[in-house]
Amino acid sequence: MVALSAPVLERLLGAGAVGRPGARLCRASDLASHSGERAAMPTAVAALDRLLPGGLPKGGLIELSGRRSSGRFSLGLAALAAATSAGQPAALVDLGDHLDPQAAEQAGVDLRRLLWARPQRVKQALAAAEMLIAAGFPLVVADLGLSPRTRFLPDAVWVRLARAAQAQGAALLLSTPWRAGGIAADAVVSAAQTRPVWRGGGRTPRLLDGLQSRLTLEKWGRVTPHRSQPVSLSLDGLEGDDAGALLGTPAGRDRMLRSA
Amino acid sequence: MRVACVLVPLFPLAARLRSEPDLKGEALVVVEGNGNAARVLAASRKARLSGIEAGMTLPQARALLPKLIARARDREGERAAQETLLEAADGFSPRVEDGGEGLAYLDIEGIPGLVAPGGSLTLPLSPGGKESDRQSERRLGGDLIGAVEKSGLPARAGIASSKLAARVAANLADSPRVVPPGEEAAFLAPLPLARLAPEIEIAATLERWGIRSVGDFAKLPPGEVESRLGELGRQFHAVARGLDPRPLQPRLPALSLSEGMELEWPLVTLEPFLFVGNAALERLSRRLEAQGLACRRLELVLKLDPDGCDARAIALPAPTLEVKTLLTLVRLELEARPPGAPVTGFVFAAHPDKPRRAQLSLFGPPALSPDRLATTIARLASLLGADRVSSPRAVDGHRPERFASAAYEPPVPPTVAPLPRAGRGLLAVRVLRPPVELGVTVAPSGTRPLSIRSSEGASPEIAGSVRIAAGPWSMEEGWWSDAPAARDYWDVELSEGGLYRIYRDRSRNLWFADGVYD
Repeated sequence: MVALSAPVLERLLGAGAVGRPGARLCRASDLASHSGERAAMPTAVAALDRLLPGGLPKGGLIELSGRRSSGRFSLGLAALAAATSAGQPAALVDLGDHLDPQAAEQAGVDLRRLLWARPQRVKQALAAAEMLIAAGFPLVVADLGLSPRTRFLPDAVWVRLARAAQAQGAALLLSTPWRAGGIAADAVVSAAQTRPVWRGGGRTPRLLDGLQSRLTLEKWGRVTPHRSQPVSLSLDGLEGDDAGALLGTPAGRDRMLRSA
Repeated sequence: MRVACVLVPLFPLAARLRSEPDLKGEALVVVEGNGNAARVLAASRKARLSGIEAGMTLPQARALLPKLIARARDREGERAAQETLLEAADGFSPRVEDGGEGLAYLDIEGIPGLVAPGGSLTLPLSPGGKESDRQSERRLGGDLIGAVEKSGLPARAGIASSKLAARVAANLADSPRVVPPGEEAAFLAPLPLARLAPEIEIAATLERWGIRSVGDFAKLPPGEVESRLGELGRQFHAVARGLDPRPLQPRLPALSLSEGMELEWPLVTLEPFLFVGNAALERLSRRLEAQGLACRRLELVLKLDPDGCDARAIALPAPTLEVKTLLTLVRLELEARPPGAPVTGFVFAAHPDKPRRAQLSLFGPPALSPDRLATTIARLASLLGADRVSSPRAVDGHRPERFASAAYEPPVPPTVAPLPRAGRGLLAVRVLRPPVELGVTVAPSGTRPLSIRSSEGASPEIAGSVRIAAGPWSMEEGWWSDAPAARDYWDVELSEGGLYRIYRDRSRNLWFADGVYD
């Protein structure tokens, strides 16, 4: 089999024959974007993929808002895991330096494909996100931490980010404790009604099992559908020796209790 | 052995015009020295037509032509031009000698028969006698001149069986000039002695003897010449007879390529520097490209006014040839750490590496452009700090805050896009780095926390009464080290919301929150 690069194909078929919509030859992986529906990147979280048809829309700014312990950091990691496990590069803009690489690896993130930027201010975080989109990353997760001061940022900032994502066909997942993206977001999902799930009680030692939350699609394009889906996040997703490596897992703690 | 000599006439002038091509066609002189003592080293054709010659002082030259443009000798530009000349010669022979300013010798034994018109290698031609050999050599000389001129330098070439004869042939008009094998003495004989550039004392003696041409000198008996003119005369006599025992001394290939310039006046702002730096980087990129290489690390040495020096290195995440990328990195580097004084000269040195090619796949996920990625990482490093842009790595151990990082070099994407792995629905912990110190009220009957409150001004702020607490889980690590960890961990849910991972440091009896379940 002979491998032909895009420049060679263009020489053979003529300029403009490769890559663009309507061209005579397209990449197979781009075909979906030329159909009627908007292409999406699955997150492998069933509730989120149902709310946003197929996953995070490519070329869009998706805002995920929720208070502390609402599960939005876990959802961001799930999106990164889905993208990197499919062989795609992805970037995490981590305001507040919150990533635990061990936990990310257990969640399925291919760390070699993940670029980790650790800004210290909100403006730095947004500038970094824009640079990463422009570099061609198909998925950029911008986590604005627990309590960012975003009130002084003008709407133009978010519009600019949304335009950058649209121009590059990238999905930008903006994870914030409260709504910040204003009118620029293509989709807004909020995580609320969070309830921790405990195991045991009484004479049995208590163990944190996970948490349940409810995702609500507050905005999709120009409509406000207000559809919602429950989502369960569990600490019990690990198996075998992996479990002992994480302190926050029941399996790891069972092992500790047994060895004590 | 057949030797080709390639020569750049008026080398200081040619090197200056290579750096400043806008001056071509102007009345230009390159001078050495300061003020009124500056002397003309080389003059352009327009200046020479006005009577300006090498050796004149600058005021003398200006008296002849008031609008004369004068430039100081640019040693850095000359060194880069010499490297360019040698690299062009490398394209024709594996054995190239650096002959000094504007001069290169090539061992071309057996090569002319392999070169087709245009310079491409082909199968050996059928034997066609001496005349066809001479034509092949002439063609090779023409291609050699073309290659050097393509890199921005004028050139002449001569081909002979000795270095000296080749150099003399290169100096003559009607370039390229080929001296057939064995005819070196006959070729040199009619030429004036000045062509051999004899020492001044010997030249004066020979003048008194009435010897004008190389042939006249060659006819003298060697023993008599040696007894009267000494060792220098013996060597010079051998040269006149076409004997040149000096072997060709091939140079080793350069480990780094460099381009630079000495500026006419000190630069104090960034934009003018980037303007001249852009041209130097373009030349550097072309030279790298000619050798099938790319820049992996760029070193910049700035000469500062009056006699300072500022050296810095820019490491690239991926080898690149893109001038725009390199210029952006230089801009960011200089913006982050401006030099402390006006810049009077600069040198860019590129450490070469094999370029990384991004092969597109029809069915696989898209790959990042190495050049764009390199630029982006450099810009992020400039914005956030070099240690804050990386690829995370897992580390063995038990402390939850542990992590390692590595340079971001994503593996090649698969040729066919795999399906994403099924989601595990895993609840993750936001690690708090550094941990937030807490004031904790514990139950009188034990260590169970009842309420927690972060210290004033801590970020994030944590406060509330504990609704459910689970623990403790003991963790002990590094007792043998200077920084041991002995902690009792608890998971706590606050009445006001929020699920935290907190611990008591047993050695100090202090409480901290080091994670938020989120």
